[in-house]
Amino acid sequence: MSAIDPTEIFRQEASELFEVLEGALLDLGLRPDDRELVDSAFRALHTIKGSGAMFGFDKVASFTHEFETAFDRVRKGEIKPTQELISVALAAKDYIRALIEDPQSTDDVIGDAILDDLRRFVSSDQPVAPVAEIAEAPPLAPGESNQAGWHLYLEFESHVLRNGSNPLDLLEDLCKLGPCFVVPVTDGIPFLDELEPDDCYLKWDVKLHAACDKDAIDDVFMFVQDEMKLTLSPLEQIEAPPPMPLFQLLDEEPVPMAEMRALVVEAAAPVAAPPAAKAEPKSESNPEPKPESKRDDRGIATVRVQAERLDELMDRVGELVIAQARLTQLAASGSDLSIKMIAEEIERLASSLRDTTIGARMVPIGSLFGRFRRLIHDLSRDLSKPVEFVTTGEDTELDKTMIECLADPLVHLIRNAIDHGIEDTATRSANGKTEQGRIELAAVHSGAQVLVTVKDNGGGLNTARIRAKAEEQGLIAAGAVLTDHEIHQFLFHPGFSTAQTISALSGRGVGMDVVKRTIENMRGTIDLSTRPGQGTTVTLRLPLTLAIIEGLLIRVGEGRYIIPLSAVEECVELTADDERSRGRNFLNVRGNLVPFLRLREIMTASGAPDRHQKTIIISTGESRVGLVVDQIIGNHQTVIKSLSKLHSDVTIFSGATILGDGTAALILDVAQLVALAQSKIEKQHISEAA
Amino acid sequence: MNEMQTGEHQTGAMQVVMIGLGEEKFALDAGLVREIIDPVPVTKVAGARSFVPSVINVRGNVIPLADLRIRFGMPQLDDSADTRIVVIELELDGEPVLVGLTADKVYEVTEISQTDVQQTPRVGMHWKPEFIRFIAKWREEFVIVPNMERILN
Repeated sequence: MSAIDPTEIFRQEASELFEVLEGALLDLGLRPDDRELVDSAFRALHTIKGSGAMFGFDKVASFTHEFETAFDRVRKGEIKPTQELISVALAAKDYIRALIEDPQSTDDVIGDAILDDLRRFVSSDQPVAPVAEIAEAPPLAPGESNQAGWHLYLEFESHVLRNGSNPLDLLEDLCKLGPCFVVPVTDGIPFLDELEPDDCYLKWDVKLHAACDKDAIDDVFMFVQDEMKLTLSPLEQIEAPPPMPLFQLLDEEPVPMAEMRALVVEAAAPVAAPPAAKAEPKSESNPEPKPESKRDDRGIATVRVQAERLDELMDRVGELVIAQARLTQLAASGSDLSIKMIAEEIERLASSLRDTTIGARMVPIGSLFGRFRRLIHDLSRDLSKPVEFVTTGEDTELDKTMIECLADPLVHLIRNAIDHGIEDTATRSANGKTEQGRIELAAVHSGAQVLVTVKDNGGGLNTARIRAKAEEQGLIAAGAVLTDHEIHQFLFHPGFSTAQTISALSGRGVGMDVVKRTIENMRGTIDLSTRPGQGTTVTLRLPLTLAIIEGLLIRVGEGRYIIPLSAVEECVELTADDERSRGRNFLNVRGNLVPFLRLREIMTASGAPDRHQKTIIISTGESRVGLVVDQIIGNHQTVIKSLSKLHSDVTIFSGATILGDGTAALILDVAQLVALAQSKIEKQHISEAA
Repeated sequence: MNEMQTGEHQTGAMQVVMIGLGEEKFALDAGLVREIIDPVPVTKVAGARSFVPSVINVRGNVIPLADLRIRFGMPQLDDSADTRIVVIELELDGEPVLVGLTADKVYEVTEISQTDVQQTPRVGMHWKPEFIRFIAKWREEFVIVPNMERILN
């Protein structure tokens, strides 16, 4: 672990904080009165500042400090977070991010300009927002801070030292606010044999003789407020300045232990009891008690793991699964019962290890969706097209590699949707639509796949224009008969754009070829559907995982193949009736007609077919297809190996795997087989009609 | 374009692996060859192009098995005791790809010199000229140095 660069940890941590900050700022635009949001944004800022300074990102620290100072007025409820202010705050956030990730690319001038903007907003003394909530949890009125000082009682959680916080440093910071009289409360210290050397047992009773703000005190404990109890009460009157003997004694010659102890106890005794009794009712101290517990849970429940380690783990599990398959086969062919038992045990372990590993790689897609809110916010502002952004299915989980791969295609699709899909407000109202456009981003599980859809309620695709462009570029002959669906496919053609003016953002089609390629590399497909005047829906169909799947091993002739088990609905025997209906290729499954394909024909299998042919019903979303095979061998944990470029022209296989006996077996591409079956049916219809 | 072919020396000498396909002898650039293995069970890929009819498992990787005899229109012999699979690595469209080649016999690793390079002597051979990098002489015999990138594309 020591090999990990600490600044890298900071970068990772910061990028999470940025997400929190951005989310909070964007939400704040919608709910400007939400104190929680202001607080969470402020906390994120403060942590960035603190850890930035700790890791030597001085520029980050100083810029964030300025940002924080400005934002503090929002926190105090002195100014209202307007849309403009949030835009500037977002720009400031981006600047900090740039400072951390690529300091060379930034320019102080930009930073200064942003800060100027920020200051302008916060100093233009807008009246305090008419917000009731703010009044409820008020910072102490300015007048109140003029009183004699504060009485603090600090109680840290025992593990605070282990997290790297040093209470002494905090006390030192506190002393900077003004003269402090600090008395340690030692009654929590256990006997020596029970004492954990790295636990914190001390509590402190502090009298701070300074007319400072309550916020100033809170700031000192900002980093540890989740790990401590801070009880704060104003000092009632100016007490006599703290008696000095304790400190003097400490600085002088060593004193007898007993004497020292007596002094400490004496000093502590009068204050140690009362605060405990009186603190609770007065506890106006910690302003954010709720998020505290939430954050705690998360801290314990998650561990940061490098992405490459997860990838490595997956590779190892893949190798283990293959080795295990060989062991199982070997055990099955022998007669040693104990080996069989071990093989079964290992099979069970390998399969649960595989599930756990896949599970560890699963990430809810919501983390990706969150990123697009900013994109839409900015685009909608730049293009002056108000857009409502709705997401559903954020909990849908996908392999993390796929989430990463999905980011770029979705950016393209969303840009296209806003830039070209959503009409401007004038057109929209002329067509009797709401002025505000709407973009929906949804994710949902469907069988073996995850469907991610980007849906806009804009003008829809202009099929005629796409066609004209395709003719102009010589992709089709003028007057060729094409379905709308076929015409829309030209959008995925490299360099195809119907945009009449080149916008800074996108031209419908620019980048769409990249989208398509990316999705296909993930073994996914992309569907377009559009209704003129009502909008366009782009559906991405993606497999759940990239590495290992549960498969059904079958035999066709001499060859063995894998069908992804998640696509399998049921297995039925091909009855004599079905056999007879040779020309029609339909199967009667409980009253439903299901088309079927004879894999023997597709695989050009040699040898005589088995007497009892089986049919495996597979499904992709809506359509069901039967596959006729010679034999169903059984379950197989399938480690997916991709096929090489030399076989990229073969569409009915999505990959290959290695069986227990070391031979390779091909994995059937269910979606392609279904498409194949459907095109066969259509052909049949045409020939029947003819 | 042939930075892959590391077997070529400055002097013009070239390390090659001599393989036999039917009656013909081919010299494969030794820089391409990763390993030579005994025949393994093959898995037929339905719908693939005829000269890459199957895939094999080589050390946990599923790689295509190409049959140059089909590409060159030569008769296919049954596997014999001499049959080997030569695993080569080459770049196709900028990506390294492992490919297995069926060889009826593997003779030896040897050096042929560029001075032995002959102009394509016999016109009207049954393979296309673009598949041939050049023809060299080895032990008084003509051997073909094939252009694997072209052959497999």
